[in-house]
Amino acid sequence: MIKVNDLTVKIGGRTILNDITLDIPHGHWTCLVGPNGAGKTTFLKVLLGVREYSGSIQDDGVEVYRNHKRNVAFVPQQPEIPTGMSVAEYVSLGRSKVEGWGVESSRSRSFIEEVLIQTQLYGMHERHVAQLSGGEMQRALIARALAQEPELILLDEPTSALDLHHQISVLNNIELLKTQGVTVISTMHDITLAAMYAERIVVMHEGKVLLGGKASDVIHSAELRTAYDNRINVFTLDSGRPVIVASKEEN
Amino acid sequence: MTNINKKLKNESVGIGQIWNWKITAACAFILVLVGVLAISFGPIHLGFLEITKTLLGMDGLHGQERTVLLDLRLPRMILAALVGAALATSGAVYQTVFRNPLADPYLLGAASGAGLGATIAITNTGGNIYGWLPIFSFLGATLAVLTSFFISGRFFAEPNTLLLSGIAVGSFATAVQTYLQQRHSNALRPVYNWILGELTVANWSIVSWSSFYIFASLAVLISISKKLDGLLLSDEESFSLGINPNKLRMIAVAAATLATATAVSASGLIGFVGIVVPHLVRGLTHRVTNRSLATIALAGAAFLVLADLGARSILSPAELPIGVITAFVGAPFFLFVLRTRRVSHS
Repeated sequence: MIKVNDLTVKIGGRTILNDITLDIPHGHWTCLVGPNGAGKTTFLKVLLGVREYSGSIQDDGVEVYRNHKRNVAFVPQQPEIPTGMSVAEYVSLGRSKVEGWGVESSRSRSFIEEVLIQTQLYGMHERHVAQLSGGEMQRALIARALAQEPELILLDEPTSALDLHHQISVLNNIELLKTQGVTVISTMHDITLAAMYAERIVVMHEGKVLLGGKASDVIHSAELRTAYDNRINVFTLDSGRPVIVASKEEN
Repeated sequence: MTNINKKLKNESVGIGQIWNWKITAACAFILVLVGVLAISFGPIHLGFLEITKTLLGMDGLHGQERTVLLDLRLPRMILAALVGAALATSGAVYQTVFRNPLADPYLLGAASGAGLGATIAITNTGGNIYGWLPIFSFLGATLAVLTSFFISGRFFAEPNTLLLSGIAVGSFATAVQTYLQQRHSNALRPVYNWILGELTVANWSIVSWSSFYIFASLAVLISISKKLDGLLLSDEESFSLGINPNKLRMIAVAAATLATATAVSASGLIGFVGIVVPHLVRGLTHRVTNRSLATIALAGAAFLVLADLGARSILSPAELPIGVITAFVGAPFFLFVLRTRRVSHS
């Protein structure tokens, strides 16, 4: 269990995250939703342990700040794309957390091959990452995270700027991680997709958590509508699946 | 794994090794070959067998030939190798740290600082120019880089701020240097020669002190080379892979700057090595990993030894400044590699 208590983050005098208290269970997919500027990305970064905060974030009883003992994979929204680096080289960077930097065991290589096959990147592994399309790059990022064999994966808007086909392909890859027992925490703009894949949803608004809980409960909550200034409509399909669309008028 | 995946994998030849150490061994072999070539060629030709015997302490060369080998060519070849290794490795490290393929060892003001230091030495120390020049240029380079760090404030919070302050410090040092040159017009020629780089002054004293600093810096850089790959990613990504990016950058830049300052103070400003050699090695091996750092050092050493051989052979007995050779040979070769690299990937 990740226990967040009285978490506050200030950057340059501005309060980005404001007094958040929240429990995130392991082994599930938790999705952070909320409008732009709600603090979702900053929340992911403090969960990673790379950014300073006040309050406490304990992952299985251990404070996360600058804790390199955890094996947490991070998939950013806008990754640095190293010039001239091949896909195989890029994905193999993930192994450094498991086997140490620069170690190339035969187990590692066959693991990377499997990961490349799983993420449909096999065959293009000698291509430069800079030459990949948006969907392929996202899969390369997830392949690197898979190669890391993490306990927890943090994904910042993994489906933004992707067409529907690639969104589903990327989300299925993330789901694959979850089936392997990895805890998934992601941010996502598309609440319909969030409701389809994530088991738990946390609604954020102006640096605060308005509500966190089971996806099916949160989707129909007033807090979700409040986060979006009542400019969303929630419909339920015959299959029982919720669909969230933007509303032109204020409800 | 599905049957299709299994089939795909069985038919595959695998992803291959990311870095093959045979390339490093090949570069070491080339360096030895080029080194032997450099000490045997010249107005006085020295045979390979005699050279080997002399170096092994056996009955080899005598008299003038022995002096040419031991006091002129050998220290000069070793200094060229040291400087080449230092500049190429520093260039590769700067390119990684600043995630900028155009970064070179002189990026943070080291060249201009050293230039100013050398100019002060040449214009103010009277006769004993070569005694003071290395010390002044070393101090100039180090001070310029430290000033860049100091001005940029929070060291690596914004790598671009550091880069910009390096440019500002560099411009300031160049302005002061130009002013001093205008005031002392008799210093124009020695300063100009120094700016183009020179290994003519090589002797065992320069080799011994510069090898100490260069070997120390290279040892640090090669020991952290594997981790440096993490700096090619964003800070969050590298942290998730177990790296403290700011600490690693600090160590890398300090060691690369020490190597650059030493190289500059030993041999003047030799351009292009720091950009050409890393790109050549990375382009020819199709690998970006910093595990290639030892190979880049060896290739840089071989490149500069060869360039120095050209510098003293082409207009023999006169000498060309080595910087002219590195740019004249390096630039077209560099463009050729860039071109073939683009064709092979399109």
